[in-house]
Amino acid sequence: MDCKDLVEKLYFYLDGEVLSEEERRAIEEHLALCRKCCERYEFERLLWDMVRHNGQNDHVPEALIARIEGVIAQF
Amino acid sequence: MMKTKEEQKKVFQELLVPELPALFRTALRMTRNREDAEDLVQEAVTKAFAAFDRFEEGTNFRAWIFKILTNTFINNYYRLRDRQKAPSLEEMEDETSFQPSFEGVTPEEALLNTLTREDILRAIESLPLEFRAVVVLTLVEGFSYKETAEILDIPIGTVMSRLHRGRKLLQKLLWEYSTRKTDMEKENEKGWTAKTL
Ligand SMILES: [Zn+2]
Repeated sequence: MDCKDLVEKLYFYLDGEVLSEEERRAIEEHLALCRKCCERYEFERLLWDMVRHNGQNDHVPEALIARIEGVIAQF
Repeated sequence: MMKTKEEQKKVFQELLVPELPALFRTALRMTRNREDAEDLVQEAVTKAFAAFDRFEEGTNFRAWIFKILTNTFINNYYRLRDRQKAPSLEEMEDETSFQPSFEGVTPEEALLNTLTREDILRAIESLPLEFRAVVVLTLVEGFSYKETAEILDIPIGTVMSRLHRGRKLLQKLLWEYSTRKTDMEKENEKGWTAKTL
């Protein structure tokens, strides 16, 4: 696997999308050996972790929970 | 075996309650407005219960109710004004490459250090809907590409290409916010130095 292949597969790898065992191993080997790709991978991993973490951080208003319970009670 | 209405309600509620936070925040990202988000969740829940006898127990409830939520959004909340407000893709994707300059840290480190939750939410909410939906479902809510394709009723190849562009747009916006902030800090520092000297 070269750097170009890695970039193509990187998001699949990061998103946990199905890759063959062989492909996954090739990615991990390349990351262990190539500093440039490893840095890119670390950056992308931290960035998308940040997006997920912050994107999940909203509180459900108590009033909405009460509203939903009221709606269900009336079904 | 037929369930009584009360039994059905109980099963529905048990499946629904753990998903409420995710449904609400997704509704928020879609409507960009708390009041609409609450109404949207309520409407989706009402529709979901009405259709609940067609839901097969043991299948993916989360994907099922997200599909109802996104459909309800597109049918009833995605008003013309939102479409008009969204910047055109060409506008967002103009390939002006900008070279962020930072001292001491790599640009990537600077980006990760300066971004706030507000920046991230603002960037997500600035994406045109087709990209925003895919980004929120896969990158925030963790649905697989296949599940996202089923929720939005689009081919998996479309999910992948929208996700790819959505990611690029989001990164571009985040770089812009971060660069702006760092520039402002530099300005402030200059002002401070001038005053103290
Ligand atoms: Zn490499």
